[in-house]
Amino acid sequence: MNDKKKAIQEGDELVLDVQNLTVHYELEEETVYAINDISLSLRKGQTIGLVGETGAGKTTTALAILQLVPDPPGVIKQGKITVCGHDMSSMTTKQLETIRGRDVSMIFQDPMTSLNPVFTVGEQIAESVELHEHVTKEEAWQRACEMLELVGIPQERAHDYPHQFSGGMKQRVVIAIALACNPKLLIADEPTTALDVTIQAQVLDLMGRLKKQYETAMIMITHDLGIVAEICDEVAVMYAGKIVERGTLEEVFDHTKHPYTEGLFNSLPNIQNRKAELTPIPGLMPDPSNLPAGCAFAPRCPYATEACEQKPAALQRFSPTHEALCSAYERPGFHIARKEVSADG
Amino acid sequence: MNNISISKKYRRRSQVGEVWHRLKKNKGAMIGLAIVLILISAAICSGFLLDYESQIIKQVTRERLQWPSLKHWMGTDQYGRDIFFRLLYGSRFSLSVGFVAVVVALFVGVPLGAVAGYFGGATEDIIMRMTDIFAAVPNILMGIVLASALGPNTINLMLAVGITSVPQFVRVTRASVLTVRNQEYVEAARAVGISEAKIIFTHILPNCLSPIIVQTTLRIASAIIAASSLSFLGLGVPVPAPEWGAMLSDGRGFIRGYAYMTFFPGLAIMITVLAFNMVGDGLRDALDPKLKK
Amino acid sequence: MADYILEVNGLKKHFKTKNGTLYAVDDVSFSIQRGKTLGIVGESGCGKSTTGRCILRLLEATAGEVLFEGKDVNKLTRREMRQMRRDMQIIFQDPFSSLDPRKTVMQTIAEPILNYKLIHGKAAVEARVLELMETVGLTERLINTYPHELDGGRRQRIGIARALAVEPKFIVCDEPVSALDVSIQAQILNLLKKLQQQMGLTYIFITHDLSVVNHFSDDIAVMYLGKLVEKAPAEELFASPLHPYTKALLSAIPVPDLRYQQNRILLRGEISSPINPPDECRFAKRCYCPSDLCHNNCPVLREVSPNHFVACHCV
Repeated sequence: MNDKKKAIQEGDELVLDVQNLTVHYELEEETVYAINDISLSLRKGQTIGLVGETGAGKTTTALAILQLVPDPPGVIKQGKITVCGHDMSSMTTKQLETIRGRDVSMIFQDPMTSLNPVFTVGEQIAESVELHEHVTKEEAWQRACEMLELVGIPQERAHDYPHQFSGGMKQRVVIAIALACNPKLLIADEPTTALDVTIQAQVLDLMGRLKKQYETAMIMITHDLGIVAEICDEVAVMYAGKIVERGTLEEVFDHTKHPYTEGLFNSLPNIQNRKAELTPIPGLMPDPSNLPAGCAFAPRCPYATEACEQKPAALQRFSPTHEALCSAYERPGFHIARKEVSADG
Repeated sequence: MNNISISKKYRRRSQVGEVWHRLKKNKGAMIGLAIVLILISAAICSGFLLDYESQIIKQVTRERLQWPSLKHWMGTDQYGRDIFFRLLYGSRFSLSVGFVAVVVALFVGVPLGAVAGYFGGATEDIIMRMTDIFAAVPNILMGIVLASALGPNTINLMLAVGITSVPQFVRVTRASVLTVRNQEYVEAARAVGISEAKIIFTHILPNCLSPIIVQTTLRIASAIIAASSLSFLGLGVPVPAPEWGAMLSDGRGFIRGYAYMTFFPGLAIMITVLAFNMVGDGLRDALDPKLKK
Repeated sequence: MADYILEVNGLKKHFKTKNGTLYAVDDVSFSIQRGKTLGIVGESGCGKSTTGRCILRLLEATAGEVLFEGKDVNKLTRREMRQMRRDMQIIFQDPFSSLDPRKTVMQTIAEPILNYKLIHGKAAVEARVLELMETVGLTERLINTYPHELDGGRRQRIGIARALAVEPKFIVCDEPVSALDVSIQAQILNLLKKLQQQMGLTYIFITHDLSVVNHFSDDIAVMYLGKLVEKAPAEELFASPLHPYTKALLSAIPVPDLRYQQNRILLRGEISSPINPPDECRFAKRCYCPSDLCHNNCPVLREVSPNHFVACHCV
């Protein structure tokens, strides 16, 4: 724990800096407000978990960072994205192509569709190396074999095609491609959702080790708070296109502030107490093309007042790293029902 | 409380209504549909307004081979018959051959395709191999063989054209039944005790309808071409009936001096086929909302 | 004397494939008491869904008997089976493909009612549909909507209402919440629990999510490659798992609690092919403590302590 804090304090090299990002999808009949003014930053070696439900804007955030939001209908309305010192929005397509894969790479949810079925896995890893580094074909192939060994696949299998691998193995190959050029930032979009639990454990273990070894900064997009607890240093909880709570792992898990984060925790079955009742969040996430005027969570929030429904939520700071988007804290003495866990707990 | 009112209270646009709503936005489809409707009304009205004996087939030697004029909008043919009237009246043949042939193909092809797709196994193999063999013979050749075997008259022309369209319907139906058959809602229906036959008719076929409807519209267009081709070859509607293909064939000998004789029937065939194709393409988009989004 | 609503004995389901016989379910036996929930857990391809479908005879079992209230489901005639389906229902995993896209909510829920002619008269049927919609928490406003207009949670509620329409005694829930977001997942789990208490339903709850099955089930059966490897009351299984696979599976659950300590057992390799498996313990290749015996024959399920069954040579 202490090491982590030190890293944050020392102000290591800023790998990713997103300021006031807003992305809309402008369709014929409606505008989908996918991301509404989010900011986040990431230092070398740090991992942030981006948590939220379907439609919260997690994947759009990732695509926006890579400048890959499908356009049309997607439009980056405002915001500054800096990856390793490069301002992404001012780059040409050519420049972006060199940055993607070299400085930042992405792992997608479905390993079945992110590999090209007509090339061997070795060729696919080598291709990525060749594109970004000045190496010969042989060197690239050598590198591909090393990468495969690194993710736990015998290098003899470099000559095999994707369909000869199982789901977990394919995801390892995808990880190998993503890490082949030693990127400074890795964006993993639900990398284990399509995998079985025991395979998921293997892949998470692998990602954790590689991350440490190469000091890669990582954005872990997931809906599973268990995975976050396992692999992340920081957490950002997203709801209806906004980051509603952000803090270190301990702050968000043990000193939860936002009512939505609390709702998420209460919705999960407790593995240590099977008799515990589930308390679901009532209702549904608002339609992102028709967001309410006030706080987007207010209609489902047990603490909401009329004021919450009328004006947008204000940002509350609880520590230099911990903040939540909730106006309820303006009321003196307000706290949510979830118990805080003390450090010695 | 009156319970019926609940369902009525929340009544909304039906699915057919939805499709129509989307189709209306498609300009091409609406133009096509307008042309098709004009053709259909022309076909119906010409039966009442024009006298077959005196205006369509009667030969008027003194008025033969006249270029288009106010009196004869599209000129006259080598027997002095008004081409415009003949084209109008001819739409009856073209459209009815197109429609009836496709209905024949539908009635044979869809059940065969559905059976093949739903039951699979040896049944499917037999049906699909027969279809393959059938489809391997060029359509026009098949039409010629059938038409000459059955003899040249309108009914046989419809049959011949219809039979050549069967393989398309078998294939389209089978393909969509195959995808729908494995959906969980079919299993769900089985789990609540719905019989196989009822599942095919209430769950599977309605969900296969879109590609079949599209195929039907497009097939009408090709049936019209096929019918015209056979008539052009003298295997379709017997003379002197004003079938468009036959008129094209008639004008063929005069193409150097009197090109209008082939131009107008050709144009009629082209516009009709184009109209049906535009409607078919529009329907394809309108029936599948997922395609657009 | 325990009142068993369902007993499964030696259930087998083999599929013929081009490469050989696929042993999807291989000699599985268990029983469920009335009003209880049996959770079946396992990873993809372990045969848990196939087991559920064989019990309902949506798939014809290759061998074995499924006794529902003493009657062997596999021996029933078509007509008897039709009647039997009123007592046994299923809720599907995918709320998107399990509803007919061309049918409204009303038509979907009314279909089983009309099929069994449970209620006569249009008004009465509609009243019943509205009642069912209320039971599962759907507002009457949605009665004429089509599935594609609704979100996953609401669709899953329609699926539940359809299953309840015939007033079943027993429901197979095939991963009913795995496609849903956590907050919606909790809503559906609570709904299923409430229905069980109100109607005295018996559930088989098929899932790959161990924390959900722990919360929801009285007994848990763990499957691996078509075999039942361990079965015990939920508390006991979580407290003292015996089979090495169960242990690894339990240790692999990511727990959203920073203070939860676990010794993760990382398994080597991947699930092997269920096609023509050799006569050895199906788990032997990945097992971290295999003995010679494990490679020589396949262990059988035996009761090691009351109600705790395990199939392992090393226990």
